[in-house]
Amino acid sequence: MTSIGTGYDLTNSTFSPDGRNFQVEYASKAVENGGTAIGIRCRNGVVLAVEKIITSKLLKSGGNKRIASIDRNFGMISSGLVPDGRHLVSRARDEAASWRTSYKCPIPSSSLAFRVGSYVQAYTLYSSVRPFGVTTILAGWDSETESRVDGQVGSGPKAALAGKTKGTKAGGPGLYMIEPSGLYWGYYGAATGKGRQTAKAELEKLDLPSGNLSLEQGVKEAARIIYAAHEDSKDKDFELEMSWVSSSDGPTQGRHEQVPKELLEQAETFAKRAMEGDDDEDTATGGGETMEL
Amino acid sequence: MVRGRWHTYRHGSSQKWRSQSRNFNVIILPPDPSHHKSILHTDRARFRSMAITFAGGVILGADSRTTTGAYIANRVTDKLTRVSDTIWCCRSGSAADTQAVADIVSYHLGMYATMEGKQPTVGVAAGLFQEICYANKEQLSAGIIIAGHHPSHGGSVYSIPLGGSLHRQSYAIGGSGSTYIYGYCDSYWKENMSEADGIGFVKGALREAIKWDGSSGGVIRMVVLTDKGAKRLLFLPDQGYEGPGDK
Amino acid sequence: MNHLPQAWGRPRNAILGAYNPSILQPSGPKAHTTSPIVTGTSVLAVKFKDGVVIAADNLASYGSLARFTDVKRLRTFNRRTVVGFGGDVSDMQYLDRLLLSLDIEENYGSSGHDLNALNLHTYLAKVMYKRRSDINPLWNQLLVAGLDGLDQPFLSSVDLLGTTFSSPTLATGFGAHLAQPLLRKVVDDEAKVGSVTREQATNAVRECMKVLFYRDARSLDKYSIAVITKDGVELKEDEELENQSWAFAEMIKGYGTQTV
Repeated sequence: MTSIGTGYDLTNSTFSPDGRNFQVEYASKAVENGGTAIGIRCRNGVVLAVEKIITSKLLKSGGNKRIASIDRNFGMISSGLVPDGRHLVSRARDEAASWRTSYKCPIPSSSLAFRVGSYVQAYTLYSSVRPFGVTTILAGWDSETESRVDGQVGSGPKAALAGKTKGTKAGGPGLYMIEPSGLYWGYYGAATGKGRQTAKAELEKLDLPSGNLSLEQGVKEAARIIYAAHEDSKDKDFELEMSWVSSSDGPTQGRHEQVPKELLEQAETFAKRAMEGDDDEDTATGGGETMEL
Repeated sequence: MVRGRWHTYRHGSSQKWRSQSRNFNVIILPPDPSHHKSILHTDRARFRSMAITFAGGVILGADSRTTTGAYIANRVTDKLTRVSDTIWCCRSGSAADTQAVADIVSYHLGMYATMEGKQPTVGVAAGLFQEICYANKEQLSAGIIIAGHHPSHGGSVYSIPLGGSLHRQSYAIGGSGSTYIYGYCDSYWKENMSEADGIGFVKGALREAIKWDGSSGGVIRMVVLTDKGAKRLLFLPDQGYEGPGDK
Repeated sequence: MNHLPQAWGRPRNAILGAYNPSILQPSGPKAHTTSPIVTGTSVLAVKFKDGVVIAADNLASYGSLARFTDVKRLRTFNRRTVVGFGGDVSDMQYLDRLLLSLDIEENYGSSGHDLNALNLHTYLAKVMYKRRSDINPLWNQLLVAGLDGLDQPFLSSVDLLGTTFSSPTLATGFGAHLAQPLLRKVVDDEAKVGSVTREQATNAVRECMKVLFYRDARSLDKYSIAVITKDGVELKEDEELENQSWAFAEMIKGYGTQTV
């Protein structure tokens, strides 16, 4: 690292002469060593999956959840420094609750991403703080059904929505990834953490923008991709944790939930089988090793 | 009469990084022993105002009479108030109170639209109205009907009566003496009417109100809100409430 | 205490004379918290062997005006408890929003435990008592129906003063006068709850809703009814009274000796 010794990397909020904030770049390094986390935006919902590295045999299996819920309809997973991720979860929950007190409806995913993104960005501006050592994936479903005001009574016209403009659609899936700099984009598929390169390559193969992938398929693919990405840190044990949020008529009824145990196990079986298949292919072609420079 | 200073309080936590307009201000009116309702509310709109949903969106309608006791303080009042392009409200109760509330909501909706880059839903507007009416119920004398059109949610009508509760309705009638037209509205109401039928329904109801209620009178004003925006209509008593319409 | 929401929480006239609300704010304007505006009437509930049945009509009155006829006063909490609200509708909506935020926060916990009806009742009782102590009561009477921590039927009430009361049958408002005695015929003792079937409890509640419609001038023939068991909440919000008895009006002629 050429920055070392120049002095421009010692405090946050100090630019180097060529316009870089090194503290933010170091924060990104913390992310590169975190367990792989991915999000897939499917036709009728969003899936989150994380490779949870088992750091001790004394940890309870299935415990210590890493994916958190925000309000009812969002899931959040961070890769990097776990406590930093928890702090962002807490902030996101406050933002969602604050939106509800103001507007009496759930916060749209774009607005939540904006607020969390702005919060993260603020931590790059002051010398008294350090940036967040996490990249966060935010998944949500904005209700596509008629909006209800919290606490509402009365139901309005029984007929179809009066005068709804043709071709407009309310709600739908949302998937955002927020980096330590505060930069965030909306994605069809998002990956971060140690195995992100492999995961991104796999996500690109899914042709997500076409909107053909169903949520159930998404769960299987997510499991497979985490297993594939785990190849980069094969020596460590890991546990797969997955959550999902579906449309109102889907399996989670618009809420963010852990993927049910049964489905999770099916997905893992699928993933393991796919990995075995890959191995065969690899031996046949004698390649397939991903090189990271 | 001078009212006490308007207080603001902050929603949300007082955490260190307050990087956006998350800290939403709701205006709370302090109880002020010096303000006395009977003096303050000389300018009172005791009238019928209403809003309906129809096939293309919503229609708001109101008469134009404002009275101070038996004296008609204003015979051409415009009681239909814009809070955003396609969200309007009908105010009843104290004119001063409802104007103040509408101004606050209008500010917040404008803020919402710029911050979020999209138009707020009618439900958001109704929620803002409700919070102010509910939190200040001791001080306010306001009955408000909110109606609007949103591209992806269509038309909707909400009513906030005196105590500050919020009611989603197919159509709403308001004002202290709206009892005069409950029968008319219940008999003639149909869901999903055409625009012409909707205008006819609103006009018919308001004509009954003007006919039987001494506190109602003057012209009939309407606003039609659809995906084409807002359209004002006016009907004059000396033209038998036939015109001029939208001319 | 009178059954009318406007009279709740006030000393009885017979003892202290008519209540003058202006004493609360001697020089100020009329305080609305001392008189509810848009109100709901009775809520009824009965325990049976596997759970609780609770019902309330769909009316929100504005004085004597039957102003809003589609107001659902049974609100579910966490898919396993139902709270029935009588009294002021704006305060009901406030409590509904409060319960929504409570539900969201409770579900953040990863322990897998969530609030049961008993926990919720304790919480609501404290909210109500706090507000009455601030001299800013929430003008409601609530029935909380569901299951307790041992999955036994749970039914309890809270009012605007924070007073709580439990019984195998409960009714608020006018129902306390008219429905409670009828419901006690079905089950008058906690020990007998185990022998009451779901059908018996449901029928008794439906019958009482009919009596209330006959005799409560602030009631409606459209109502909501919920059955809470350990399988969850079964809520029907658009019920109508059936088998009403009016035909005997034909036999009533004049007011005494008249026969035609």
